[in-house]
Amino acid sequence: MNFTLNVWRQKNANDQGRFETYQAKNISPEASFLEMLDVVNNELEAEGKEPIAFDHDCREGICGACGMMISGRAHGPRAATTTCQLYMRNFQDGETLTLEPWRAKAFPLVRDLVVDRSAFDRIIQAGGFISVNTGNAADANALPVPKDNAELAMDAAACIGCGACVAACKNASAMLFVSAKVSHLALLPQGDAERVRRTLNMVKTMDEAGFGNCSNTGACEAECPKSISISNIARLNREYARAKLLS
Amino acid sequence: MSSILKKFLMALTGLALVGFLIAHLGGNLYLFLGRDHFDGYAKKLEEMGPLLILAEIVLAGLFLTHLFMALKLTGENQTARGAQGYADNSKNQSTPASRWMWITGLFVMMFLVVHIKMFKFGEREKPITAKGEEIIKAFNGEEAAKQFARESGEHGSLYGLVQKEFKRPAVVGFYVVLMLVLGAHLSHGIASAFQSLGVLRPGWLQCLKPWCVALAWLIALGFALLPVCTFFGIGIN
Repeated sequence: MNFTLNVWRQKNANDQGRFETYQAKNISPEASFLEMLDVVNNELEAEGKEPIAFDHDCREGICGACGMMISGRAHGPRAATTTCQLYMRNFQDGETLTLEPWRAKAFPLVRDLVVDRSAFDRIIQAGGFISVNTGNAADANALPVPKDNAELAMDAAACIGCGACVAACKNASAMLFVSAKVSHLALLPQGDAERVRRTLNMVKTMDEAGFGNCSNTGACEAECPKSISISNIARLNREYARAKLLS
Repeated sequence: MSSILKKFLMALTGLALVGFLIAHLGGNLYLFLGRDHFDGYAKKLEEMGPLLILAEIVLAGLFLTHLFMALKLTGENQTARGAQGYADNSKNQSTPASRWMWITGLFVMMFLVVHIKMFKFGEREKPITAKGEEIIKAFNGEEAAKQFARESGEHGSLYGLVQKEFKRPAVVGFYVVLMLVLGAHLSHGIASAFQSLGVLRPGWLQCLKPWCVALAWLIALGFALLPVCTFFGIGIN
């Protein structure tokens, strides 16, 4: 398969940045999107040019490192798919693809398609953990968790923190990410002890990082590679109201 | 104030304004019962005196809070998105109504100014006084006598003003278009308010959202019906 790529190239945060056009030739339909970029980069390096910088790590769809806007869709056109799990057979032969980095003030650009997502780390550091001593590993079922809650917590915990929600949101809001992290811990008995403090601190850090406000458009949910539901955002709003009343 | 608190305020003031719209539409339906019922309803409201003024102040407060928070949130959101936009922005997975809330909101605000100027401060047709009744009687209830009697009266008739304005095609067109804009605003706004207040549990969202959208269009089309029915003389004469 052959593709024309319009790729955003930017040396660093101070550089102006511009689109450059590359040809991806003889790409296997079984190649993943990142493998296709590897092929293009090999050719660029052979020509003595600077390869396209992009984030990646596990390439199994579980780490959240990869991610870019592919022709206006976060992680490309397939639902519930990370960029690394997107295969070239999902595109038309000869298609022109526009590759852009996540755009958000809270995600400053590092280089080309790489952005700095440390704002997410700071939100997690503000409360996305359990610090109370929960003792040794308990026997299975010693700590009762209602099945429904276990399912909802697991669904929320599927968030890999890739930032597609922020990239897709017209307001660059991080509410889906924060709500997934708050929900996943608030629904489990181990997370209950720090529920109030966690919610207040994570929301405060989110606001300070410069993310936008949630307009409930649902664009985040549609682009999330892990199909995190915006019902988590409703839960975060409830948790926040509860935390404000109890603090 | 945190982002979530700001959204709480948007949602609460928005829902309160929706409550007002429902009451306002209910009152306006008196138009279908005729001049006496509608003017009687208007008179009752005006006779509330200080209570009405208080209600107007609360309404203005709700509206201005909603407007102020909207401007603040929209400004913050545009800053958060950053200066560099996407080259391809055509495939955003959300409804146009949800993306254009601030635009539709500004149009609704513009409508409100025109609407209040037209009907609250508009010059009203004068109703028939006791002396006027005598004249009508003397002329055996002729239409010209009724007209004369109305024009020589002292107090204005809101029904007459509505009749006068809603017989003008430009006004009818303006009202219908702006009510469609209001419908678009509410079609996202009502369900969004419940989501912002965190009352939507998993499953409820899918269940409640169609009802919220239906309510939005019921309100908008209900209001749009009034100028259309008046213009064509369907049920309102």
